[in-house]
Amino acid sequence: MNLVFRLAWRNLWRHPRRTWLTTGAMVFSNTLLVFMIALQFGMYDLMIDNTLQAFTGHLQIQAPGYKDDQKMRQTVADIVPLAESLRAELTTASIAARGTAFALVSSEERSYGIAVFGVEPEFESNVSTIPGLISKGRFLGASDAAEIIIGAALARNLRVDLGDELTLLGSGRDGSFAAAVVNIVGIFDSGVADFDRSMTEIPLGLFQDVFYMNGSGHHVVFDAGGIDGVAELQSRVGSLLPPGQDLVVHDWDALQPGLKQAIKADMSSAFFMYGILVILVAFSVLNTQLMSVLERTHEFGIVMSLGLTPGRLGRLVLLETAIMGALGLILGAILGGVITFWLGIRGFAYPGMEELAAKFNLPARFFPQVSAMTLLIGPAVVFLFTLLAAVYPALRLHRLHPVEAMRAV
Amino acid sequence: MTAVRCVDLCKTYRQGEEDIKALDHVSIDIAEGGFVCLSAPSGGGKTTLLNAIGGLDKPDSGEIYIAGRRIDNLSKGELAELRLRQIGFVFQAFNLIPVLTARENVEFVMQVQGVPAGERQKLAGEILDEVGLAGLDDRRPADMSGGQQQRVAVARAIVSRPELVLADEPTANLDSKTADGLMELFRELNEHHHTTFVIATHDKRVMSYAKRLIRMLDGRIVDDIVQDAA
Amino acid sequence: MHRLEILFRLAWRNLWRNHRRTLIMLMAVVLGTWAMIFMTALMRGMVTDVVKDGISALPGHVQVHHPDYRDDPSVANLIAVSDADLSARFNAAGFVKWATRVRVPAVITSEYDSRGVTLLGVDPEYERDLTFVDYDSVSGRFLESADDSGIVIGKKLAETLNTKVGKRIVLMSQDPDNDIADRGFRVVGMFEANIKAFEENYVFAGKTTVQKMLRIGDQVSELVVLGGDYRDVEAEYNKTVELIDGSGEVKRWFELDPYLGSMLGVMDGFVLVWIIVIFLALSFGLVNTLVMAVFERVREIGLMLALGMRPINILGQIVVESSLLLAIGLAIGTGLSWASVQPIKDGIDISIVGDGLDMWGMSSVLYPELLLSDVILANVVVLVLGFLASLSPAWRAANYEPIEAITKV
Repeated sequence: MNLVFRLAWRNLWRHPRRTWLTTGAMVFSNTLLVFMIALQFGMYDLMIDNTLQAFTGHLQIQAPGYKDDQKMRQTVADIVPLAESLRAELTTASIAARGTAFALVSSEERSYGIAVFGVEPEFESNVSTIPGLISKGRFLGASDAAEIIIGAALARNLRVDLGDELTLLGSGRDGSFAAAVVNIVGIFDSGVADFDRSMTEIPLGLFQDVFYMNGSGHHVVFDAGGIDGVAELQSRVGSLLPPGQDLVVHDWDALQPGLKQAIKADMSSAFFMYGILVILVAFSVLNTQLMSVLERTHEFGIVMSLGLTPGRLGRLVLLETAIMGALGLILGAILGGVITFWLGIRGFAYPGMEELAAKFNLPARFFPQVSAMTLLIGPAVVFLFTLLAAVYPALRLHRLHPVEAMRAV
Repeated sequence: MTAVRCVDLCKTYRQGEEDIKALDHVSIDIAEGGFVCLSAPSGGGKTTLLNAIGGLDKPDSGEIYIAGRRIDNLSKGELAELRLRQIGFVFQAFNLIPVLTARENVEFVMQVQGVPAGERQKLAGEILDEVGLAGLDDRRPADMSGGQQQRVAVARAIVSRPELVLADEPTANLDSKTADGLMELFRELNEHHHTTFVIATHDKRVMSYAKRLIRMLDGRIVDDIVQDAA
Repeated sequence: MHRLEILFRLAWRNLWRNHRRTLIMLMAVVLGTWAMIFMTALMRGMVTDVVKDGISALPGHVQVHHPDYRDDPSVANLIAVSDADLSARFNAAGFVKWATRVRVPAVITSEYDSRGVTLLGVDPEYERDLTFVDYDSVSGRFLESADDSGIVIGKKLAETLNTKVGKRIVLMSQDPDNDIADRGFRVVGMFEANIKAFEENYVFAGKTTVQKMLRIGDQVSELVVLGGDYRDVEAEYNKTVELIDGSGEVKRWFELDPYLGSMLGVMDGFVLVWIIVIFLALSFGLVNTLVMAVFERVREIGLMLALGMRPINILGQIVVESSLLLAIGLAIGTGLSWASVQPIKDGIDISIVGDGLDMWGMSSVLYPELLLSDVILANVVVLVLGFLASLSPAWRAANYEPIEAITKV
């Protein structure tokens, strides 16, 4: 061990209680940061995945303007062949075409105005979690069958069950009257009543007939597997769009503008809190190191009169701080990692969070995941601020005069 | 009436590898109104004896009585009360509380005793005049000389008229003139107020003021003489 | 009394002996206090905003429905008592802000498109104080009476349907016998709302007109009562229960929307957790400062003990010193947070993340809410926990052996 390091190390343990208290502040913040950041980013991923993979997808091809107006007439022509050729070109099955309309859905006893989606029965399950949520019956079969799947809450409200008939009344693409009678073949249950009550699905072929779509639809939906590859996929899809037709490709941020901003809004308040925590730790370090410099005035005077420069003494003080900071970093990351890992297995819940979580398509219990990023980013920032806090005490050494310093008690 | 009675006190310290007998079967009686000097070379046991009498240190064995009351078996709190009400202390060094002024230091004990502010201030002013510190009431210890500090300490020790004053090398940091002044003050208090003084010292001049001189060596009393004070 | 005075004097003077250390610690306490209170004020503002907007969507603090209505909000589930009877009861009871409504799902169709909406049949005179629509800023006009034959729709919906004031639309719903009930309306006004979703989801028509269209005679879906303060609606609730006398289900707002209800509870919990976390971050520095202070003063503590000061008073002196430091920090920090709320009292524009806030249910102007109870909570928590934290170093100081302490160099 080199001499300066040994000196710094010994100096730290002259006041073990003080050193541990200062390190304790770092360990406390680091543990908290590791856990909070893991929880936070885990939550964001879940929010994105659950929201997008439920139904929206990562990318959609639409007619220009459809995203904002959602008018029946803003269509994508020959949508099934388009989806087919994209699946072939991109060698993936996670692409499906859809159409959207609003209709009055009536059972014998009840009627509700609701969104009706026309989906490709073979491919829908690759871009949406709804087919997997069927709790009763089955998903849609043939593309032109007179079938429908509805949510559990809606089934309850319409007082219908599997096998019952529903009447759809709405307006077609050209504004003319559209009507159909369909058979309930499946009931899905997402656990969120409002979501279950918000939509129904029928086969795309049937949809196109009933709503006079003439082979067109409203969106081609892509599941990119995760949000990382979206940008690349978007540009590839852009280049594959059929020439002569005016179409646009929207990514998830454009489709669900609230999502990213909700995350941003949450992030800014979280970072404010983390910032405060880090600064408080820095104050603690500043206090300790300033005291430690002041009480060693006499001793520093002696070594300075022996020819040691204030710069070197300053580096000694910084080294002491760095050792303390490194201790805090390692212990904090370990403790935070262990707690997070444990909660990652056991799950983390906060009283009252269930209702809040449901609003954002999140489960009531979180399982935060430990990663190198979440483990190190918080403690690294704390370490940096710790060093910054020691700069002032280190610079004060330049104001020291050996003779006066030696006279100090 | 005996002010202080020590019966067969023993106390052993461990210093490094060695056991040091600070008190080795020490027995003394000090009468009320006594003016006693304990003299011994460094490590002779005088400070230990003084601390034991003051209830600051517990003997390993033996009994101590102050004004007829046994004190070596009292609790910490009872000892604190005893020191507060009955004993005045003057230490060798570091006698004053740095953040308090001279007057506040003198008032300190009375304040802890619960003496009303008016009376406290009057007494403190008088006693500071008496020890020759008139006008220095508002100085803090850091702004006073060693002698001045020591006189503040004496003023504090005697201001509440304790029955017994214990002083450990009170003149150690004083010049001879100041030291004489201090001893005159002690003697006056002893004569007028009948306060018992026990002073540990190895200062010859201090010893000359004593009515009784006890010499100690290696924790034992080797000489106990009654003398005519100077 | 005298003892207390000397304790305070000693504590106060000792506090400023090492003014640098005290100032650094003070700055940390000030920053911590400011962060506690300011952040809480912002969060409270957000939650109040969410809850208020949420309540404005309900709207009404106490609501009466048919027992099945909440799970099945259809025309079949109407309040058993007639509207006239309800009016008589509530007017006689002296309620001021209350209204009855017909509230059913419907499909609105223009010549271009159709959408599912919630149709509110209202009496504009009663509705004025309750609704989120500001009558005076409606383009066109709001409804004029309960038998107005016009309809007022949201601006966003009007755009989607490609309609405007003066044009006709058709509303479709069902009557209690599940026959289609439809009627043409002329759009007489378009409203704007804080929350864009409201503009898409709600349409207003005259109550009597809607009752005729749905063939439900003099019945209504809901009765709503607005109280003075949404936090305390017990008086209104109890009175409503008494007036309804079992002929309907009476619910408070937080029962109607568990998301909003849990929001307030979660917020209270969060405030406490935040305050404690900040305190803990501070506590390391605080204890450290006290440990150093005690360490420096061993000899005078020994002296005081030797002079007969009781250990409990030594303990008191350290505790008072710590409490004084915290009290000053709290006072400045509280003042600072009050001052920093003043310039943004009238709201800060956070519309950069507007869509995200929409998703959290917030509008894009944030009004910080400095609650006296939060200020008191922060101050009390810091003082009480600070007291506990100072006990350990104070206990050490009180237990010194006077003779050892006084001779310590």
